[in-house]
Amino acid sequence: MQEFIEFGLGGIGIGMIYAAIALSLVLIWRGTRVLNYSQGGMAMFTTYVAWLVISHTGNYWLGFVLALASGLVLGAILERTVVRPTVGKSPLNSVIVTIGLLIFLEGLAGIIYGGQYRSFPAAYSIHGLRIGSFSLGISPNDLFTAAAVLAAALALALVFRYTTVGLRLRATAFDSGVARLLGIRIGRVLTLGWALAGLFGALAGVLVTPSTFLYPNSMDSIFVLGFTAAVIGGLDSPVGAVVGGVLLGVVLSYAGGYLGNDLVLVYGLVVLALVLMVRPSGLFSSATARRV
Amino acid sequence: MTDTATQVAALAVEDIVAGYGGGPVLDGVSISARPGTITAVLGANGAGKTTLLRAISGFVRPRRGRVLVGGTDLARRHPEDIARAGVAHVPEGQGVITELTVEENLRVGALATRDRAGRAAALADAYARFPMLAERRRRAAATLSGGERQILVIARALMAAPRVLLLDEPSLGLAPRMVAQVMDLVRQLRDESGLTVLLVEQNARSALGIADTGLVLNLGKVVAQDAAASLAGDVGLRRHYLGF
Repeated sequence: MQEFIEFGLGGIGIGMIYAAIALSLVLIWRGTRVLNYSQGGMAMFTTYVAWLVISHTGNYWLGFVLALASGLVLGAILERTVVRPTVGKSPLNSVIVTIGLLIFLEGLAGIIYGGQYRSFPAAYSIHGLRIGSFSLGISPNDLFTAAAVLAAALALALVFRYTTVGLRLRATAFDSGVARLLGIRIGRVLTLGWALAGLFGALAGVLVTPSTFLYPNSMDSIFVLGFTAAVIGGLDSPVGAVVGGVLLGVVLSYAGGYLGNDLVLVYGLVVLALVLMVRPSGLFSSATARRV
Repeated sequence: MTDTATQVAALAVEDIVAGYGGGPVLDGVSISARPGTITAVLGANGAGKTTLLRAISGFVRPRRGRVLVGGTDLARRHPEDIARAGVAHVPEGQGVITELTVEENLRVGALATRDRAGRAAALADAYARFPMLAERRRRAAATLSGGERQILVIARALMAAPRVLLLDEPSLGLAPRMVAQVMDLVRQLRDESGLTVLLVEQNARSALGIADTGLVLNLGKVVAQDAAASLAGDVGLRRHYLGF
């Protein structure tokens, strides 16, 4: 019984991390129709920024905030320089470019920081909470993670739905030609979309790195699972990203706990296949077909 | 019509040469449209009608020539800048943003060109003029019929308070009754708002029915340009180029 609850709550906890990555992917997809394979790499890079700040100043929250800020900047710069030329061309171009970007970011981090595993602090205590002698399987830090991701998801959904910025993002993503005919400066919209995605990725990075340790490839498997969560939830839905993340986290936690941890990624693939068989465009998607 | 000699053309295209790589699709086309008139652009498929509109709205870069809107040359500028200069282009296929609601589609139309007060006013105007859209304001644009969508995209184009309206095949795919309704709407817009309209149409008869002037394109050149009534009355021309 205790195991059951531990696996469940623990699954929700890690699921929130997948949701954070999924959110940034949804943002870029919904705002720019690009699938950003370098999202994990961007998150890793901004976490190194946080680590630099924290190790020099000893101030966690300063590192946290500067990581998010550098996420904004990194996203904007990458869009302007590397991604912009792929707009309007074949989807394969953006796939190749973002994969190349991932390789570049990981290589660069390795050169600057070296490949060794570094520890990264958590915001709050990581000791499991207990009720009496009953271990819940989650910690205060897990609660903070969940709250932060939920707040971010809510903010994103509100921006899309109720603001003119959100309207611009959605119109430009749907059809950049029509958006231009209506006078929208799509260049700025694309840059904004990527900047925000960099922000969400940075958030995911600082939240998960305490448990994965920090090294150039630290976000790789998280990205794969976050991507899976995004597809499960439907690539254009922030709600779907959160539900997909939590669903995936919980299923993997139970499967890993009861069936053994070696095949976690395989379980993820199974969940993905099952969901896509039932709803090919993802659980919460309103879109029909997709090319990538 | 007032004295034409003293009026600056609302829209003038001077000797445009444009294409998509390879040979030019438009080979020296010139048009002059007075303010508050409808000019029908007619001709067979492939004659260059859509390319002409795209050359004006900026999606095709003219290799030569000028595009003058109210006296300013807009040729070779970005589409979004041309749109902000008062040129509204409703493309073939309508361009409804099906992911958004009717109201959101309308609001997008005003985003780039009007401030917050202007946007609210534009929306109120649109609902006053098009009660059908007001009734459907919260519905997904995807649920609208073909004729309703055509009205929506025209209303959306008007949200920016344009000086020039480019309409590409608004009657495409519509039932005859809807075609009449759309043509009626365009005529009203000219009469009431003094809008200058360039109307590309395969349905030459309907277009000439509401137009002031017409021009016929063939293989990238203007082969006829005259008052609409004269073109409609030229049986030989009609049979040869216009299909009726």
